[in-house]
Amino acid sequence: MLKDIKTLKNQAEKEIENAKDLKDLDRVFKTYLGKSGQVTKILRSLKDLPQPKRIKTGKEANGLKDFLNKELEKRAKILEKEGEKKEKKKEQIDITMPGKKIETGHIHPLSQAQKEIEDIFQNLGFSVVEGPEIESEWYNFDALNIPKDHPARDVWDTIYLKNGKLLRTHTSPNQARFMEKNNPPLRIIVPGRTFRYEETNASHEVGFNQLEGLMVDERGKITVANYKAIIKELFEKFFGKPAKIRLRPGFFPFTVISFEMDVSCSICGQKGCSTCKNTGWIEVMGAGMVHPNVFKYSGLNPNKWQGFAFGMGLERLVMIKHKIEDIRFFYNNDIRFLKQF
Amino acid sequence: MIFSYNWLQSLIDRKLPKPKELAQLLTMHSFEIDEVKKVGSDYAIDIDILTNRGHDCFSHIGIVRECAAVLGFKYKEPAVKLKENLKIKTKDLVSLEVKNKNDCSRYTARIIAGVKIGSSPKWMQERLKACGLRPINNIVDIANYVMLETGQPLHAFDLDKVTKQKIVVRRAKLGEKIITLDNENYGLDENVLLIADFKGPIGIAGIKGGRSSGIDEKTTRVIVESANFSPKVIRTGSKRLKLKTDASWRFEHGIDLNLTEAAINMAMALIQKIAGGQITKGLIDFYPNKKRPSVLKLNLKDVEGFLGVKIPEQKIKKILNNLGFDVFGKSGQTIKVRVPTRRLDVLIPEDLIEEVGRIFGLEKIPSVFPQVRLSSTIRNLNLFWESSIRNILKEMGFFEAFTRSFVSQQDVDIFGYNLTQLVELKNPPVIDYQYLRPSLIINLLKILKENQKFSQGIKFFELGNVFKAKKSKIKTENYEEKKMLMAISENSDFYQIKGMVDLLLNKMGISNVWYDDYRSSPEDSQKSFWNPMVSAEIKVDNQEIGFLGEISDKLLKKLKINNSLVVFELDFKKLKEIASQESAYSPVSVYPAAIRDLAVLVPSETKIIDVLNIINNQGGRLVVDVDVFDVYEGEEIPGGKKNFAFHLIYQAEDRTLKSEEIDKIQEKIIKALEKNPEWQVRK
Repeated sequence: MLKDIKTLKNQAEKEIENAKDLKDLDRVFKTYLGKSGQVTKILRSLKDLPQPKRIKTGKEANGLKDFLNKELEKRAKILEKEGEKKEKKKEQIDITMPGKKIETGHIHPLSQAQKEIEDIFQNLGFSVVEGPEIESEWYNFDALNIPKDHPARDVWDTIYLKNGKLLRTHTSPNQARFMEKNNPPLRIIVPGRTFRYEETNASHEVGFNQLEGLMVDERGKITVANYKAIIKELFEKFFGKPAKIRLRPGFFPFTVISFEMDVSCSICGQKGCSTCKNTGWIEVMGAGMVHPNVFKYSGLNPNKWQGFAFGMGLERLVMIKHKIEDIRFFYNNDIRFLKQF
Repeated sequence: MIFSYNWLQSLIDRKLPKPKELAQLLTMHSFEIDEVKKVGSDYAIDIDILTNRGHDCFSHIGIVRECAAVLGFKYKEPAVKLKENLKIKTKDLVSLEVKNKNDCSRYTARIIAGVKIGSSPKWMQERLKACGLRPINNIVDIANYVMLETGQPLHAFDLDKVTKQKIVVRRAKLGEKIITLDNENYGLDENVLLIADFKGPIGIAGIKGGRSSGIDEKTTRVIVESANFSPKVIRTGSKRLKLKTDASWRFEHGIDLNLTEAAINMAMALIQKIAGGQITKGLIDFYPNKKRPSVLKLNLKDVEGFLGVKIPEQKIKKILNNLGFDVFGKSGQTIKVRVPTRRLDVLIPEDLIEEVGRIFGLEKIPSVFPQVRLSSTIRNLNLFWESSIRNILKEMGFFEAFTRSFVSQQDVDIFGYNLTQLVELKNPPVIDYQYLRPSLIINLLKILKENQKFSQGIKFFELGNVFKAKKSKIKTENYEEKKMLMAISENSDFYQIKGMVDLLLNKMGISNVWYDDYRSSPEDSQKSFWNPMVSAEIKVDNQEIGFLGEISDKLLKKLKINNSLVVFELDFKKLKEIASQESAYSPVSVYPAAIRDLAVLVPSETKIIDVLNIINNQGGRLVVDVDVFDVYEGEEIPGGKKNFAFHLIYQAEDRTLKSEEIDKIQEKIIKALEKNPEWQVRK
């Protein structure tokens, strides 16, 4: 019997060692220590043995039981760890697989840019106001000191309507519209669609977007230097980097000291291209100090108030920012274009 | 206008900067240069003269004066001395009558006799060619040459072809005709100002000479006219005849009344030198109201107050002086400035500040933030809601489009618009731009079709103005400009898009949204483009705010679009007003909600809203929500019937509802529903 116990021990030890997983180990447990396990059987048969042999065998058998329990436990811990490792391997995902696509729409680049510019000006204390696209001769021209039968009117290639009105050629009528109803100090910008009688090509559309600005305060308070600071702020914020700008003399009947403002051409890096007509500069804005007559026509006293006004083409700014070479892309609405913004 | 670099250089003693450098300087201080082009040994400089400087700068002298001021010195005009034949008096050879001094404020003329017509010298021809003019003969070339140098248009004609040697400046009579120097025939009317003789027109004043009095190889006695015609009259006449010339262009911009004499003298001296002949004594000069220089008072403080940069007094004076202004007095901070008569653009002190500023250099003005009172901005609700709508629709997968504002006759025909509803262009810039868009749908469908070539499942929306003609006695109200929101979705079903409309309105805080049958009004042309079976009016309370529906197959076929399209349109102004109304916060009830189900068997054509209305009316405040969870038609349901199934959510703000209380309301609802004999509540 004692010899059996020794053989049993060797056998069990080997089996424990060879157990592949917890399930296997459980089988080993059952074979030896289960209800009808071999060691259990020996222990159960003890009562039938004579006294001295019973004591000796009992001691050996119980020792084997304890030993096996400890070994099983040890092996179980190891197998458990191994099992976890295996499990983890199975769970590990390929994080380099592409994510599932979620399709959202897109806001038009011109809307986005307009909003950006509005935000920049609102932070500077400018209000955003709007005006009609169908306009009268008075607001589009007369109120802006552009007299009838004057060559100056030819500059604004105008689309007239059969109902006697016209399509606004610029957002400037809103200077007059706003000044009629509000007393200075004034700080506004006016975004909106404007129209010119023009042939459509890479840099011209019949309908395009302008953004008008007007800042008026007491005489002597708002200067050309102030205009420069505000516009620099706009471009630095909008383009996200210091932009080169230059002012050159211009003429608008509704401003006195008038200028054109150019931004350095980002498309060619000022090396010369078709967009900047090989000059390295792109004209983006007309501006100047509000003409006393415009104050007068709007019912404000020109001796009391002073300020600057400007108008810029929204498309131009977006074209410069994103290096878009054709204005028509904005109105063709090709999804492959719109998706990029 | 194109200028000759050599010509400019010949007018002053100092050496001009190289052409490209000069172009750069002029661009920054005077006018933008479009192009500098080498022509033989000369350079043609294309200068974009600002329209307010046409008075004095459509001339080489004008540009030289600018160059000098930019370079820091003053240009002096050369004086011309004439050798007249004192024995022959001009006034004995020709007489002049100007009918209206408003049409012609000055008319000067001189005569040179015994000239020999030939070609002009090579140097003159080269300069004319550099400026884009074709040489003709010595007399005509000289007239053009003087115009390009001084800016004063001249007209030379044959004295012996003037009947009775009398020149009359008068308006044309309707029916009069003239053949111009280039053999074109023009019918005239009272809009056109004429140079005429006893027999009839001999030239169109300020625009073009007539053939009958033109210089030819036999001409010996030449009369040269240097006049000043009304810009308005020349502009009207030029538009009326559709005839624009170098002369008309200059007169339209207005010219110095005092220029005529210097120009005619220069021409005479040149003719004598080149073509020989004797200049008769005296100048014919009609000049009833002599123009004298005006005087402006400029407060030096205002210069800084406008520009934001301090310019020393001496510098200001020097700049003005170099431009030909005469600074002649000072009291306190105010200087007196005499404005030369050629500067028709300088009318107010601010104009002087502009002159000082640009010559001083706009680039030298620093950037300084204004110091002004703080004031709050006006909140613009249009922008706020537009931006919200864009964001919401973007998240739902819509692309924002910017379509053009115009539609064509063909579009209008396809969509069946009535012409009386449309705002029509008087001068369409493109054939297809005949009307302003009456709806966003037309151009949205076009871009959708274009995009179908590359994409599918397209969703577009646009926020933009649409235009309609209206009948009104008040002229300012005979049209309507209205901002609309339109969205279009390919291959979606009605309910999907309806859900999107619900979500959009919900996100804008608009409740009480419901959908009503679409009822077309008699004048409604739109009916042709909706599928009447799948379309609805979108309403909030009793107000219609928009439309939702499927585009009709008929229209899709006409437009050659293959896939089905669901569209919704909302009136932006109404939307904004409803969304902006203050909405009160309703507290979330802390008491539990109870749910009861209800199923109703109704005829197939019954609308769910009719059932919902009864449930809501009977349920009152305690039924806080009704959720449709099933609509079933088919097996197990009797033919011609369908089954609606609802979850009714009961909740009170102030207490836990008792079961009996709920049962009572539920009973009430069932009873009300069963009043309709065709409806059967399934228990």
